[in-house]
Amino acid sequence: MQTYASAGLRSPHMAHRVRLARPMDPACTGKTLASLLSMALVVLCLASSQAGAAGVGTHPNLNGTWAVYPSRTKGPPPDPKLLAPPPGPLKLKAKYAQPYEAMRAAQRESDRKGEPLANASTECIPNGMPTMMFPIYPLEILQTPGQVTIIAEAMSQVRRIYLDVPQAKIDEVPPGYFGHSVGHWEGNTLVVDTIGVKEEVLGYRDTPHSDQMHIRERFHLVAPDVLHDEITVEDPVTLEQPWTYTFAYKHTPGYQMLEYVCDNNREYVDDKGVTRMRLQNH
Amino acid sequence: MSFERAIGLIAGAVPTLVLVALTASGPALAHHSFAMFDHVNRVTLAGTVTRFQWTNPHVFIELDVPDAKGGARHYSIECASPNVLMRGGWKFTDVRKGDRVTLLVNPLKDGTPGGMLEQATFADGRTLGDSNPPGGVFQR
Repeated sequence: MQTYASAGLRSPHMAHRVRLARPMDPACTGKTLASLLSMALVVLCLASSQAGAAGVGTHPNLNGTWAVYPSRTKGPPPDPKLLAPPPGPLKLKAKYAQPYEAMRAAQRESDRKGEPLANASTECIPNGMPTMMFPIYPLEILQTPGQVTIIAEAMSQVRRIYLDVPQAKIDEVPPGYFGHSVGHWEGNTLVVDTIGVKEEVLGYRDTPHSDQMHIRERFHLVAPDVLHDEITVEDPVTLEQPWTYTFAYKHTPGYQMLEYVCDNNREYVDDKGVTRMRLQNH
Repeated sequence: MSFERAIGLIAGAVPTLVLVALTASGPALAHHSFAMFDHVNRVTLAGTVTRFQWTNPHVFIELDVPDAKGGARHYSIECASPNVLMRGGWKFTDVRKGDRVTLLVNPLKDGTPGGMLEQATFADGRTLGDSNPPGGVFQR
């Protein structure tokens, strides 16, 4: 597998920067022109060795693997200027706020007792949107013509964002885990709209939503190797006002995504909804 | 689990009228809560590996630990996931059937013979930590 390191690139963004850093000099001689052309060829070859480089065009290059920033386990202290801003207030409508808070309280209490309530991931069910965008394992972004594909290492989740096409009507989208996503570039920001996430797929922090939900995302680089995904959830049924929060990612050059098949799930849910661990005796 | 089902499970729980400020900023999602493990009363298990499963969602070490009567008690020890362990320096060949290993473990609170790994000393003497959240801290 081709990696950025083996292509001689420190990061996928380097080829983009090199390309931009070579304006044509009108006074150049034939020799330097030939030299520039050969350099451009080298740069093009390097760029084409990256997955999806052909689809990047003049847009920021988001290709590569990314991990939630700051890392939860290791690494130098994060740069405060690059951190995701704190989330905005979650304002659920009264009908949803009380059962939601009761559920959160029950989760905390069950954790305190050492009998955690099960959730989707306990049963190896994919997080779906938007929670798959805040994973403990890396994401991979692939830019190809007309499409941006995001793969989460955890549970091998895949979402496809179709560029420059109209959003589908809600009754055309079978409700699922990742929904139907369309996007376009506004300057250096990739703007995405997602509908069609089924109601059983809880939102960030286990929030409820309806079939009217839109997940609006704005992806933009805040540094050459730090990406933000500003998410605004709109839901006229469950939310008093849109809820905005941002996830930050750091580029992980050279990282090769691992497979993730949940074939040895020892956790199970007992008849009280409590998570238990299945033991073996040999 | 659906939201409705979740609510059904906790019907009758203390109603809370005010949405408290949610401060959790990560880790995002672990495969499950680690609350079933005792992170305070840790135990050290020295024994012989009967199986080593390099699998998702968790790696498992199956271990026979000798008891005072000349027999053995069997333990199932959950580790982090393969990708987390790899980033922590582990290799899928670090543990093999028949190896004698020593494991520092957060035992299951219900007393059954299982637990979550905190640190392993391999047959060759190397020691590596597990990479689950430090002290079992887990935020949903």
